[in-house]
Amino acid sequence: MFIQLVVSGISIGAIYALVAIGFTLLWQASRTVNFAQGDFLTVSAVLMFILVCLGVPFILALLVTVGISAVLLGYVVKRGIIQPLIDRSHTTIIVATIALSFLASNSISTFWSAQCKPFPQIFGMTPYRFGSIILSRQHVWTIVIAIALILAINLFIQRTKPGKAMQAVAQNREAAKILGINISSVTTMVFVMNAVIVVFAAMLIAPVYMVRFDMGAQLGLKAFYSATIGGFNQIRGALLGGFLVGVIETFTSAYISTEYRELVVLVVLIAVILIRKEGLLGTEER
Amino acid sequence: MALLKARNIVAGYSKELDILNGVSLDVKEGTMVSIIGPNGAGKSTIFRVLFGLLPAREGTVTFDGQDVTNPSPAELLRLGITFVPQGRHVFPLMTVRENLELGAYIRKDRKGIQKDLERVYDLFPLLRERSKQKGGSLSGGEMQTLEMGRAMLLNPRLMFLDEPSLGLSPIMANEVFDKIEEIRSAGSTMLIVEQNADRSLKMSDYAYVLETGCNKYEGPAEEIRNNEEVKRLYLGG
Repeated sequence: MFIQLVVSGISIGAIYALVAIGFTLLWQASRTVNFAQGDFLTVSAVLMFILVCLGVPFILALLVTVGISAVLLGYVVKRGIIQPLIDRSHTTIIVATIALSFLASNSISTFWSAQCKPFPQIFGMTPYRFGSIILSRQHVWTIVIAIALILAINLFIQRTKPGKAMQAVAQNREAAKILGINISSVTTMVFVMNAVIVVFAAMLIAPVYMVRFDMGAQLGLKAFYSATIGGFNQIRGALLGGFLVGVIETFTSAYISTEYRELVVLVVLIAVILIRKEGLLGTEER
Repeated sequence: MALLKARNIVAGYSKELDILNGVSLDVKEGTMVSIIGPNGAGKSTIFRVLFGLLPAREGTVTFDGQDVTNPSPAELLRLGITFVPQGRHVFPLMTVRENLELGAYIRKDRKGIQKDLERVYDLFPLLRERSKQKGGSLSGGEMQTLEMGRAMLLNPRLMFLDEPSLGLSPIMANEVFDKIEEIRSAGSTMLIVEQNADRSLKMSDYAYVLETGCNKYEGPAEEIRNNEEVKRLYLGG
């Protein structure tokens, strides 16, 4: 039981971590807090669902959704909405992302459906058995895929030239600028990365949550808590925060009550920011 | 002919107020040129304009005969102009080596970069010693050295140095000045703004004195250093 709970907590936490890393990357590149992050996820899940319903093989549906999301939720959002506002205050951008969030979820409920739709169980149903331990395929594959993605993101940031440019922009914009790094195109790249990350998070969460116009709202919020608890400006913070929130939630549901799971997370969130306002692993910003 | 020519530059941070009211200056190849003047004279602003970080409302800039008024930083870097701005500008979470390599961001020739990295390490042995350390763990003087090293990775034809000794202890400042002199004697062309005007003039060939965004005096650095009024106003003696 205990091990199953841990695995289930880590699995949901891995999804939170992925979405939280998206938050962190956007923050580092452009000081944007994307309140439409959850709705990006809904849009991706709906797209994938529609494609699968049309009979498109799942892998192809995933790839097509990655493409559409990269263009629409990455490139177009950055160039069309964020770019014109980037020299204004942070609040302006935040309000714009809130507007985007309403636009996305309301368009889906109005023009597509307000109903819950079951997403296909892409990982299969028969659980894995390791002796007396029974693990759901969904949980195991979620952990494997999320961790692989996180490693890939890290490798990209640490080892490649565009990744180093991302780091440079995050650590000192002025210095990045005078070395010839094009801040705007690095930021666009980060928005595209975030849009791709969100599609994978949508793929992992959709079989659990089912597809609905507001499925992302909850998840976006949880990822936001995760990033705040772990440290908004650090990837490892988002990672830690995500796993923490997932595990805390799962254990609260199991040992106290499902109704209290959000409460406990919020108490932890408040405690953390009272003690360390940068979050557990965050660094202070000027 | 001057390598860099700026003519009648007018610029400011807000629409109503010009910080520079028509500054002109020349930098000849192989020389070191100082800009001195009181606070608010527009010394740092001129660098921001020359490097394309602040648009010039009026005036022209040419480099090696080519028009570079309101350029992008990448354009200037490609022409061989680098900038070490005021204040600390290292990447604190990256290693010294990664910091230096980003100095060659616009270059694609891996071998050439490696060669220039070695050259910078030879010039600043301290950076070689610290190559695996994080930029943020360096002292103020070491960071300044790192920034100068980073600016040399492009083998620049012209370097802008903005207040290299600002915030450093006298001993550290001295070391930084020694390094500047070393770079200088290797034949680099430099334009420098420095609060320690006396020291900066001693190293320089030519100097401009700015006041409220205008040229006030100019001449060989030695002459400016001995100019009674400049002495009284800016050199504290």
